[in-house]
Amino acid sequence: MTFALYIHVPFCLRRCTYCDFNTYAGLLSLRPAYVQALLGELTLRAAQFPAPATSVYFGGGTPSLLPAADVRRLLDAVRDRQLLADGAEITLEANPGTVDLAALRGLRQAGVNRLSFGVQSAQDAELRMLGRIHTWDEAVQAVRQARRAGFTNLSLDLIFGLPGQTLAAWQDTLNRTLDLAPAHLSLYALSVEEGTPLAASIAEGTLPAPDPDLAAAMYELAGDALHRAGFWQYEISNWARGHTAAPEIWALPPGGLSENIGPVSRHNLSYWRNTPWLGLGAGAHSWLAGRRHANVLHPRDYIRLVQAGELPEATAEAISRRLEQGETMMMGLRLAEGVGAARFQARFGVSLAAVYGATLRRWQDWGLLHWDGDRARLTARGRLLGNQVFGAFLPDDEA
Amino acid sequence: MDARHIRNFSIIAHIDHGKSTLADRLLEITGTVAARKFAGHSQLLDSMDLEQEKGVTIKASAVQMHWQAADGEMYELNLIDTPGHVDFAYEVSRALAACEGAVLVVDATQGIEAQTLANLYLALENDLEIIPVVNKIDLATAQVQEVSAEIAELLGVPLEEVIPVSAKEGRNVAAVLQAVVDHVPPPDDPVDAPLRAMIFDSHYDPYKGVIAYVRMRGGQVNADTRLLMMATRARCDPVEVGIFTPEMTPVPQLTAGEVGYIATGLKTVREAHVGDTITSAKEPAPEPLPGYQPAKPMVFASLYPAEADDYPNLRDALEKLQLNDAALTFEPETSQALQFGFRCGFLGLFHMVIVQERLEREYGQNLVVTAPSVAYQVELNDGRTIEIHRPADLPDPTLIKEVREPWMKVQVITPTEYIGVLMEIFRRKRADFLMTETLDPKRVQLTFDVPLAEMVIDLHDRIKSATRGYASMDYAFDSYRPDDLVKVDILVNREPVDALAIIVHRDKAYEKGSLLIRKMKEAIPRQLFEVPIQAAVGGKIIARVNVKALRKDVLAKCYGGDVTRKRKLLEKQKAGKKRMKQLGNVIIPQDAFLAMLRLDEE
Ligand SMILES: Nc1nc2c(ncn2[C@@H]2O[C@H](COP(=O)(O)OP(=O)(O)O)[C@@H](O)[C@H]2O)c(=O)[nH]1
Ligand code: SF4
Repeated sequence: MTFALYIHVPFCLRRCTYCDFNTYAGLLSLRPAYVQALLGELTLRAAQFPAPATSVYFGGGTPSLLPAADVRRLLDAVRDRQLLADGAEITLEANPGTVDLAALRGLRQAGVNRLSFGVQSAQDAELRMLGRIHTWDEAVQAVRQARRAGFTNLSLDLIFGLPGQTLAAWQDTLNRTLDLAPAHLSLYALSVEEGTPLAASIAEGTLPAPDPDLAAAMYELAGDALHRAGFWQYEISNWARGHTAAPEIWALPPGGLSENIGPVSRHNLSYWRNTPWLGLGAGAHSWLAGRRHANVLHPRDYIRLVQAGELPEATAEAISRRLEQGETMMMGLRLAEGVGAARFQARFGVSLAAVYGATLRRWQDWGLLHWDGDRARLTARGRLLGNQVFGAFLPDDEA
Repeated sequence: MDARHIRNFSIIAHIDHGKSTLADRLLEITGTVAARKFAGHSQLLDSMDLEQEKGVTIKASAVQMHWQAADGEMYELNLIDTPGHVDFAYEVSRALAACEGAVLVVDATQGIEAQTLANLYLALENDLEIIPVVNKIDLATAQVQEVSAEIAELLGVPLEEVIPVSAKEGRNVAAVLQAVVDHVPPPDDPVDAPLRAMIFDSHYDPYKGVIAYVRMRGGQVNADTRLLMMATRARCDPVEVGIFTPEMTPVPQLTAGEVGYIATGLKTVREAHVGDTITSAKEPAPEPLPGYQPAKPMVFASLYPAEADDYPNLRDALEKLQLNDAALTFEPETSQALQFGFRCGFLGLFHMVIVQERLEREYGQNLVVTAPSVAYQVELNDGRTIEIHRPADLPDPTLIKEVREPWMKVQVITPTEYIGVLMEIFRRKRADFLMTETLDPKRVQLTFDVPLAEMVIDLHDRIKSATRGYASMDYAFDSYRPDDLVKVDILVNREPVDALAIIVHRDKAYEKGSLLIRKMKEAIPRQLFEVPIQAAVGGKIIARVNVKALRKDVLAKCYGGDVTRKRKLLEKQKAGKKRMKQLGNVIIPQDAFLAMLRLDEE
């Protein structure tokens, strides 16, 4: 069975202008206590592991701000409890500008076998607008050092649809990024979140509001470029370098399984397939045995609760079967593999057609969904309009 | 009391010139109402004032006062109130028809204004004796001499006949009463004649039914007389007859010349219209009194509950209002995109505003009111003439011989420096300019004919703001006139949307049509397909815009921690969709759609 373990690291050197994640600048002094608390929470929750973790993901924040020795202690603690499966995918999110060769070597030795770099753009002006702490050259540098430290499974994140960004600038960012030959790419359309400095700049008129049609054009441009470069798109925002060439954009993966494409993020597949995961750390969520819970957001509260021997939980909700089915669709349709009828039947004991036949046909008529009785998946056009489709699968009464 | 000692009169004035304040003073000095009663709520005659109306069941628009005049004799003075707004010109005329005299109050700081004249002309039409009064003489800015001279000249009376008063301070108000006794003729109605009582107002009382406020024009009436309303043919056995002191006080009978009430027991004010003649059912008068007109709404708008669930409550509230408001009409309406509401008819724009406010304040209704339109007369080729209350109902142009719309005669009194801007405002409203009359070196009265359809939108506000409040306006229905009027249909995704249809002059069809479709474009969120919005006249497209298809709507990032947030977002979106209106395949947020309907002009 697959079981994903997430570890949240809520520290950043400085907050980026668009960021609304659960992260804090200026709290680095909490690091030792926080790592201690993570170890404490692991102890408290060890019994909740339904199986050893088949993937571990250090997300943030900026996990690369953790000393490699701490990463090692954490992974060892999991391993020592027999809670780490053999061959587990172990990813760590890293920001260029926070890592050097020694640190990267340390991470590799600790067992990390996949790095995800927040590169975001190849244009320094854009990086400044986003409030990133690094330049493009530093990103290139970080990728090279990671390779030297022994990492092969490298993923890079980019953001598009930025205020004032042109198609040409985006094309250039894509080209330069592809030159770095990553194994995996995540491309995110910028969403301007309320309360961020970026939103304020747009509201004041110092920055132009992003044009959603232009963002759609960038997305399509990227889809074409990455397809030509041998990448498969396996999720709305994620591409993996293919073992074979993809027959078309947004193709059904070989055998209907994303893993058959190439170095996809196995950890994230757990989310999209709605299989169980456990999150450790401030603000981390978990999805276990029909229940989703979330930890307290602030690292100080988190540390205090764990030190007191308490579960640092802030909220929990029971997920009904209907809701679980809806969430399975909502998440599963993000994948190019879609939702298979057989897997759905095996999981819920009812057929996909019986539960969602009418809805699936409706979206099929709109040209946003393929549905052949065996599998439901978004069409290439539908993958840009997911929000229009997903809601229809959620039960009405739980709004 | 013998008729020689009765005086029936009204007070008429432009708004805010002091009619209510003067009435209060008169009630006070005649001892009808003790002075302290005014402490809590001044202006007793204004009892439409909402709380007052609820507390006390009197609507004291006719109060009997007793007063000893200079000759040492006691007189019965009946003060009859008139509605304060021009939309109720007919009701005003009926109230005046119940009197022999009128006290004309003019504010010494303002002078003659539009409604001063309008009310004066109504009073003269009813052959009333006018008692001129100049008010607010206590104010430093009062121009008592000038204004008195203005009034004297207007009426053709000597300057000394204009009575200077301060209603606020009660100064010289006794002189007003003395003038009423001296100059207003006593009633002269035949007692030995069949019963004829003119209804000049009414209200609904839950215990006694419709209370008809009457002026006895012949014969007499008591609680045992079976009655007939001559226009509506409604019959009733009255519960009681009485006078307002100002409380309702039963009396054994009412006799020719007197003013009082008949508690009819009738269930709705529509059975006892203002202006109707009450007679005896057994020995009916051969003729009703002249001047009756059935209430005729001319302005129409749709009222929708903001929340569809409130529809039954809105119906209840309208029914209750109608108990007291014979001029209000409503019928259920459904249209695409809107759920259920009512098409309501009003006497005019202000009547509409009053109804809307009462629905909101007294009945707690949360309303959406569409832009008003007017009643059109349509003469068809087959010879029939129909009246339509909704632009969408205008028949196909090939069936129509002629479309007529109501025109109003409008008087504006303004300082001369605003003549230019006013002319421009009226020109844009398709008005015909008729004449200018000079009132004094600084002020003129302008007269226009204006289509009511152009007035109902924002004429009043425009005039007020263009003249910084210095101009005053009065208007009255003039006539129905034919014009080159066409219906502009708005089509969303090629389907006409009834609620958005408008009737306009052919010359304005393109301009208005383009404006509407541009607004509509803003109201419609992008759909999964391109949505054309068109304006059409007689099936021909005159303007078009497109709402581009939605290209991208998906969350870029969605990982474990986002599931709940993402789901909540979608659920919210979905709940929002329930409040969306469906026009064919096109989904429009209700709020945006309703905002559209309210819109007008630039
Ligand atoms: N100074 C002064 N103010 C007055 C006088 N008569 C009325 N007012 C004020 O003028 C305003 C309008 O009076 P009101 O009786 O409501 O006018 P209506 O609209 O004609 O009934 C109120 O604020 C009164 O207090 C007066 O003789 N002197
Ligand atoms: S590095 Fe990432 S988590 Fe940290 S502030 Fe920037 S966007 Fe937010």
